[in-house]
Amino acid sequence: MSLSNLVKNELIKIFKKKTIYITMVVIFLLFIFMNCMFKYANSGSEYDYYLYNENYINSLRADLETLNPEKPSDVTVYIDLLSEIQLSEMMEQHKDAEWKLAIINERIAPYITERNTYQYGAEKNEAQVQEINQEIDALLAKLDENDWKYFAREDLTKAEQQIEELNAQKEQTEDKAVLENIEIELNNAQMEKEIAEIRLNKEIPYGTNYLNRAISNLQQAHTNLANFKNIEELTYEQKLEYNRYLEDQAESRYILETGRDIHNTNTLKGILENFYSQFGIFLIVVVVMIAGTIVSEEFNKGTIKLLLVKPYTRSKILMAKAITTLIMMIFIIVVTLVMQMLIGGIIFGFDSLSEPVVAYNFNTNTMEEMNIFANLGVQTLTQLPMIILLATLAFAISALFTNSTLAIAISLLGFMSASIINQLAIGYDLQFMKYFVTMNWDLSIYANGALPYMEGMNMTMSIIICVVYFLIMMMPTFIVFKKRNIKNI
Amino acid sequence: MVHGKTTTIKLILGLQSITSGKVTINGYDIEKEFTHAIKKVGAIVENPDMYMYLSGYQNLKLVANLYKGITKERIDEVVKLVKLENRIQDKVSKYSLGMRQRLGIAQAILHKPNLLILDEPTNGLDPEGIKEMRELLVDLAEKEKMAILISSHNLAELDNFCTKVCIIKNGEVIETSEISEIKKETSQNLQLFEVADVNLVKNIIKDIIVIDHHRFKINVPRENVPEMIEKLVENKIKIYEVKPEEKTLEDAFFEKTGGNVIE
Repeated sequence: MSLSNLVKNELIKIFKKKTIYITMVVIFLLFIFMNCMFKYANSGSEYDYYLYNENYINSLRADLETLNPEKPSDVTVYIDLLSEIQLSEMMEQHKDAEWKLAIINERIAPYITERNTYQYGAEKNEAQVQEINQEIDALLAKLDENDWKYFAREDLTKAEQQIEELNAQKEQTEDKAVLENIEIELNNAQMEKEIAEIRLNKEIPYGTNYLNRAISNLQQAHTNLANFKNIEELTYEQKLEYNRYLEDQAESRYILETGRDIHNTNTLKGILENFYSQFGIFLIVVVVMIAGTIVSEEFNKGTIKLLLVKPYTRSKILMAKAITTLIMMIFIIVVTLVMQMLIGGIIFGFDSLSEPVVAYNFNTNTMEEMNIFANLGVQTLTQLPMIILLATLAFAISALFTNSTLAIAISLLGFMSASIINQLAIGYDLQFMKYFVTMNWDLSIYANGALPYMEGMNMTMSIIICVVYFLIMMMPTFIVFKKRNIKNI
Repeated sequence: MVHGKTTTIKLILGLQSITSGKVTINGYDIEKEFTHAIKKVGAIVENPDMYMYLSGYQNLKLVANLYKGITKERIDEVVKLVKLENRIQDKVSKYSLGMRQRLGIAQAILHKPNLLILDEPTNGLDPEGIKEMRELLVDLAEKEKMAILISSHNLAELDNFCTKVCIIKNGEVIETSEISEIKKETSQNLQLFEVADVNLVKNIIKDIIVIDHHRFKINVPRENVPEMIEKLVENKIKIYEVKPEEKTLEDAFFEKTGGNVIE
């Protein structure tokens, strides 16, 4: 007469029902669909900022003809349109290499606008136009030499010169304000130099790929971090911001160092790394569905009477149902993970599984590598409190009100509103919310020593809060179920 | 009919809490020692609600899992007993009400209880089903040696195969005794006569209750019947039949309860 017999029966009842299979098939199809979307979402043009469109350019030309550069009201629009057309044409001529487009976009584009301003704007200056044209021609001539390293080398020399100059200036002045300014500029120049060196050493041509993104992120983080230098005491919000920049910096350096595209979501590893944020909803729906029907359905169908006249106490019967829900939760997590691994593997290939998951550790200020399977384990553990609490909510409502629809709807509402609630709580800095369940049930916020949403929160406290919420929901459920009179159905 | 039949059964089975008094089964208090008290009890409460998406056999298997030592042979034996062997592998959703009722009995007797509690077992069954159910229950009581507690408002039904009745009216027990006792108690000495012409009798014997042209009733003790017959024969009255009038449980019930009044 043990609990295991009851649990066994509960599992039989679930697995003999069609519902679970239909849901799993639907989820299977959705997984395939989503993986295909990931596959094709990022495989478009690599030249992000350059999409030449003949029709669009022609329409711009037509617009241009209606404008008169002599009229003061038309002139700014005229210059804009003309510059855009000229830029597009120039890019079209140099589309053989991405780095050329990057150079045109970043370095020549400002010249084109400037030239057109001098040519058509209010202050016409023929000499300037000539000068700028020469600059543009010189750059274009360099583009035609097909050597992107020329530009990098030039960046390097420029940065070195600047550093030299700044150092010289530093020695000449004693004014604190000026020195501070020089210090900031020096800092930036050093960054420029470092980046130019990285480009040359790691052979990273100009462009928009992940390496170039890492370069610009690094630059950004560097500038932002410099702003924090003079602040003595950081507020909690500033600390969070500061940590974010440190993370960006370490991440960008890691990407440039190893050449690994760690943010690439277009691999099996990349998808699995974010499994719960992208696919969590599916398994939560199934778990909540089971938890929300396991008790109420027996009441609604009248079969609860069969169960309650067996030689088991009511606590045991309810306990068996709770344990069954827990087993089903683990089962569903495993099944969805395996499902994603197979589908993702078939669509993206399994090779990426050997790549490590890389994450910034806030305590040691370094990037840490982790096996994808270990990472999945950590992800699952950090999400368990949320999944268990949502299942408990569905279970409790289902047992208290014998209403499956209510149980499932409320639990899913809870899941969906959690992120909004958290955002509001953090946004308005509502300190009392740090004891609220949605702020505590996702332990991944503590991963790698990251600072939590609010000052004073920590993992132990979060776990205790989750346990308290669990007990608050479970205790009345057991008490009511034990005392409940079985009404005439 | 709110007289408390189903409620009584639910109280006995511990499905509702008892406000006063107590229920003991096999010497165990149902509230304090539930698992012991319920161990040797089988029951169907209200409708035979089974798991519709499972086959009859799977339903029985679920019940068997919850008791110790119910073998496959025992399941087969019970299936045969309730005559479901041809349809036991079908889904319960395809069963008729009678079949569900029989499956309900099968799951209730699987663990050889010594008390079987049935709530309106013939409710919704066709005449043939009722007859089969009656036979099955009589069979069970004999073969499996179990006491069967049936709640019903169908008195004719109970009259047929019950030994003991308890009459509940508006939630109160009015009578608890053997059926034969009740009948005897309420029986008057009514004798039923069938003759050629009742009008002729009227002149000879007074106090007769005329039923129709050929039949009348009279309240005389059994010993006086031969004397009466003699008297009638002397007066050349043709007698076709004389018999004591049978009291049904229904008559006894109405006599006891004084009609069906819900207070």
